[in-house]
Amino acid sequence: MVRHWKKFELPLLLAMAATAALGAGAYAAEPERATLIREVSLYASAGANAQKLAQAGRGSGLTILERGNADGQPWLKISMAADQEAEVSREVTGWLPAKAVVTGATANGDQVIFGQAVDSERQAEERGGRKGAAQDALRLYSRVAELFPGSPLAAEAMWRAADIRWQLTKSAFIRTGKPMEQKYLLAVIAKFPQSKQAELAAYDLLDGQMCQEWRGLAECPIKEAALYEQYAHEHPQSPKAAEALYNAAWRQAALADIYRIENDNAKSDAARKKATALAQQIAGQSPQGDWKPRALDLIYKLEKKIPIYGVLIE
Amino acid sequence: MACSLNNANMFTLKRALLTLCMALAATTALAADKEHGTVISEVTLFVTPDPQAQKLGRVTRGRDIFLMDHTTVDNKPWDHLLATVDVDLERETAREISGWVPANVVVTTSTPNGDQIIYGEAVDSENQAEQRGGRKNAADDARRLYYRLYEYFPSSPLAGEALWRAADILWQLEKADIRRRPSSREMSPDMRTPMDDQTLRLVMKKFPHTPWADQAAFNMIDNKLCGSWKGETKCPEKESELYEKYAREHPQSPKVAEALFNAAWRQGALVEMYRTQHEQDKSEKARKKAMELAQEVAAKSNENDPKLADWKPRAMEFMYSLQQGIPTYDAEADRK
Repeated sequence: MVRHWKKFELPLLLAMAATAALGAGAYAAEPERATLIREVSLYASAGANAQKLAQAGRGSGLTILERGNADGQPWLKISMAADQEAEVSREVTGWLPAKAVVTGATANGDQVIFGQAVDSERQAEERGGRKGAAQDALRLYSRVAELFPGSPLAAEAMWRAADIRWQLTKSAFIRTGKPMEQKYLLAVIAKFPQSKQAELAAYDLLDGQMCQEWRGLAECPIKEAALYEQYAHEHPQSPKAAEALYNAAWRQAALADIYRIENDNAKSDAARKKATALAQQIAGQSPQGDWKPRALDLIYKLEKKIPIYGVLIE
Repeated sequence: MACSLNNANMFTLKRALLTLCMALAATTALAADKEHGTVISEVTLFVTPDPQAQKLGRVTRGRDIFLMDHTTVDNKPWDHLLATVDVDLERETAREISGWVPANVVVTTSTPNGDQIIYGEAVDSENQAEQRGGRKNAADDARRLYYRLYEYFPSSPLAGEALWRAADILWQLEKADIRRRPSSREMSPDMRTPMDDQTLRLVMKKFPHTPWADQAAFNMIDNKLCGSWKGETKCPEKESELYEKYAREHPQSPKVAEALFNAAWRQGALVEMYRTQHEQDKSEKARKKAMELAQEVAAKSNENDPKLADWKPRAMEFMYSLQQGIPTYDAEADRK
C-alpha cells in the first residue's frame, strides 16, 4: 500500500515540479515595463558612440529586454512603440542609458514619474515652455497609473492624463470638428467610481454635449442649463458642483435676455426666476471661495435687469 | 438772572451749534463717502439722462465714480456721475468727466452686498482674461474692480484677498510687459526697469502677517532675479539665497514649498555649472545643498492641500535625478 502510494507520488511530484518550473518560466518571461523621465537617444548598441536610432521622449512606454554596461554606466535594451501617440505602431528596439528609466521596482517610482509629469505640465502652461510638454505630461501621468496601479497617486494621475488629452482634443474639435474621444474619461469613472477624480471626469464629459454656437436661439441654453443642473444634483460632493450650478444659472440668465429680445416676457421672467433661484442655491451652499460673490453678482444683475448675454443696446 | 440765563443759553447755544456743525460736517463727509463707487458693466456716459442724448464716452468696469445726483426718466433710474473715462485704451489715457448713466450698473458703498457684487464681477473679469478669446482688457477690469473693493469696503472680509489679487494682476501684467523688452534679458536686474511694487507693499502694510502679505513678498523677489544667467554662477547662487531666505522668513506662507523648490532647483543648476567648469568640490557642495532643500520641500508639502500636494513628487523627482546624475539644467545651452 505504501509502495503503491510511493509509485503514485513520484510522477505526481515530477508533474508538480514541471508545472512550477513552467509557471516560474512564464513569470520570468513577463517583460518588465518602464518609462523615461528625460528625453534620451535610442542607440543601436550600448554606448554613447553607437549609431543613434531615434529619440525617446518623457513618458514613453518601454519594455526592458536586456541589461548591460557601457561607458562605465548601466544600459538597457528596450523596445518601444515608434509612435507613442498612435494606438497601433511599429516597435523599435535599441539601447539607452538606464539612469533616466523608471520601472515598477524603482523606489518611490510613482512619485518620481508624477513629479516629472507636474514639471512637464507647468512647462506646457508657460509661455516659451518646452515643445510637446503637454504630451509629455499626458504620457507620464498615464505611466503612473500603469506601472503603479496601487499608488495613492494613481487616481489623480489617471484623471490628469485623461483631462490633458480631453483639453487637447477639445482644441482640435473647435478647430476641425473632429469628435472628442470619451473613453479615457470613462475609464477614470470606471476604475475609480465615487472618487473626486470620477466626478471631475463626469464634469469634463459635459463639454461634449455643449452647442458650438447658440446663434441667439433658446434651444441650446435650455439644454445646457438642464445638463449642468442635472450634474450638480447627481454630484453634490463634486469640486465642480458650485461651478455647474453657476453655469446653469448663467444660462438661465442668458435665456431671460434671449426671450426678452424675442418679446416673450412670460418666458423671460420664468428664466430670470429660475436663474435667481439657482444663484441663491450657490450662495447658500458655497460660503467660502469665489462662487458666492459670483452668484451674488449674477443675482444683482438679474434684479437690476443688466443684460448678461449679447450686446448691450442703449 | 436773565442775563446769566442768557449767558448760559448763549453758551449752550454755541455748544449746540458747534455740535450741530460737527454733526453736519460728519454727515456730509459720510454722505460724500457713501457716494463713491464703481460700475460693474461697461456703460456709456450721456450728457443728459436720455439714451438718445449726446455720448461723452465709455466708463469701463472698476473705474472710480463719484455719484452726484439721481433721477428717473420713463420709469428708468439714472445716475449723474463724475467718472474717469477711457480716452485711448491702448495708450491708457483717461480723463474725468461728468455725465449720466443708467443707474442699474452703479454699485456704491451703500449697495447691499456691494463688496460681494464687485468681487464677483472681478472674478468674472479675471476668468474672462484667462480665456482664449475672452473680453479685451478684462485683466485691467478685474484689477480695478478688486482695488475698488478694498478702497470702498476696507473692513469687508474680502478686502485683503481683493487687494492682493489687484496687486498680483498688476504685477503679472507689468512682468509680461517688461519681458517683451530687450533689457529683460540683461543679466543684472539693475539693468532693466523694475516692476512697480507699490501695491504689493500696500498689501504687506495693510494686511501684515497674512497669506496675502506672504504672497506679495514672494512676488517681490521677481525684481531681484537675473534676466538671464549667461553661464555665470553668481546668478543662481544669489537667487537660491533669496528664495531660501524667503522660506525662512515666511514659514507659514502658501509659497514656502515653491520657494524652497526654487532654491533647490538653482542649487541643482549650480551642480551642472560647476561640473562643466571642472570645480568638483563646489559641484558636490551644491548637490548636497540641493538635496537638503528638496528633502525639506517634501516634508513641507501637504498632500491634503491641492495647491501644495504637487511639491512632494516634484521634490522626489528632483532628488532622484540628482542621485542618478541626470542633469536638471543644461549648463552648456545657457552659456551659448
